[in-house]
Amino acid sequence: MAAKASLKVKAKGKGSKGSSSSSSSKYELFKDWTNWSLKKAKVATHYGFIPLIIVLGMKSDPNTHLFQLLSPV
Amino acid sequence: MADLFPPLATAQVDAKTKVDEKVDYSNLPCPVPYDEVHREAYMSLKAENFEGFRFDFSKGLNQKFSLSHSVMMGPTEVPSQSPDTTIKIPVAHYEFGANYFDPKLMLVGRVMTDGRLNARLKADLSDKLILKANAQLTGEPHMSHSVFNFDYMGKDYRAQLQLGNNALVGATYIQSVTPRLSLGGEVFWAGVPRKSGLGYAARYETDQMVASAQVASTGNVVMNYVQKISEKVSLATDFVYNYFSRDVVASVGYDYILRQSRIRGKVDSNGVTSALLEERLSMGLNFLLSAEIDHKKKDYKFGFGLTVG
Repeated sequence: MAAKASLKVKAKGKGSKGSSSSSSSKYELFKDWTNWSLKKAKVATHYGFIPLIIVLGMKSDPNTHLFQLLSPV
Repeated sequence: MADLFPPLATAQVDAKTKVDEKVDYSNLPCPVPYDEVHREAYMSLKAENFEGFRFDFSKGLNQKFSLSHSVMMGPTEVPSQSPDTTIKIPVAHYEFGANYFDPKLMLVGRVMTDGRLNARLKADLSDKLILKANAQLTGEPHMSHSVFNFDYMGKDYRAQLQLGNNALVGATYIQSVTPRLSLGGEVFWAGVPRKSGLGYAARYETDQMVASAQVASTGNVVMNYVQKISEKVSLATDFVYNYFSRDVVASVGYDYILRQSRIRGKVDSNGVTSALLEERLSMGLNFLLSAEIDHKKKDYKFGFGLTVG
């Protein structure tokens, strides 16, 4: 009897864990997605920030060409 | 006898008109941002002293766009175990920078040879709301940090919300109470070392002087006073006290703005004397000399540099 009760308790415990994991897994998925997107955004900013400034600057008028950037004058 | 009265009456009328310039409490000026409460004091007391050689070349391509190249060679301090000894390692690096200045958008980026990026962004989202972002990104994981600030400028107040990585949230608010006095407060919560903090600041300014004070729950009490002696000279003094660690530092500094040069220096109660000279050799060519002498720790730092453009 005690063994059966303990088995039932174990099953209930596992069942509740299962239901809570399905609701907490959405939160976990959301956290994982935001972590992934933040990591990608960090890499994109790290490589793309200076080229972004250069492209914006070259497009503002008067338009400058690439050789004007590289020449020492 | 009758002659006595008219002068007295006029004197009273003069005094009354002076007092009668009543404060219009609905029309107070906008205060200085909370981060800049100590701005005038730190111009002379926290000058950018450096050690070694520095060369900055700035090339403007457009009205809005400019590139900068910067070379720095010199010893850099490395944090050591004991506070008495300083370990210095000679280091040389080159930094490339690009700036874009628009009335509504400002972008500044600096990248070093080891891949570290220092990025700043300032965008006017609307007439009163400004977004500022500041990020230091490195290739190493968990060593980058970034901070986003949303500033709202009201009629006689300013409010700021700050969000940073590692769950840092902060808010500041500063309000003009009289045309000369402004009071502000700040609150922040840092996620990684789980602590929160509270702080208050007050600033009183006139045309000739600025006095400001700040208290924080980290235990820091900062009080400073700046007096403008003339158009060219201003003196500043500063008192910092931490009531948890019982550290006290007092310093006195000066700032001379002359026609061709600007010299700032300070003397500290820790035995540190420092000075920074910026001399304009010709149009666009600046020569820098920096010296910082720490008598207690026997640490002597001298630097020279040239800025072009």
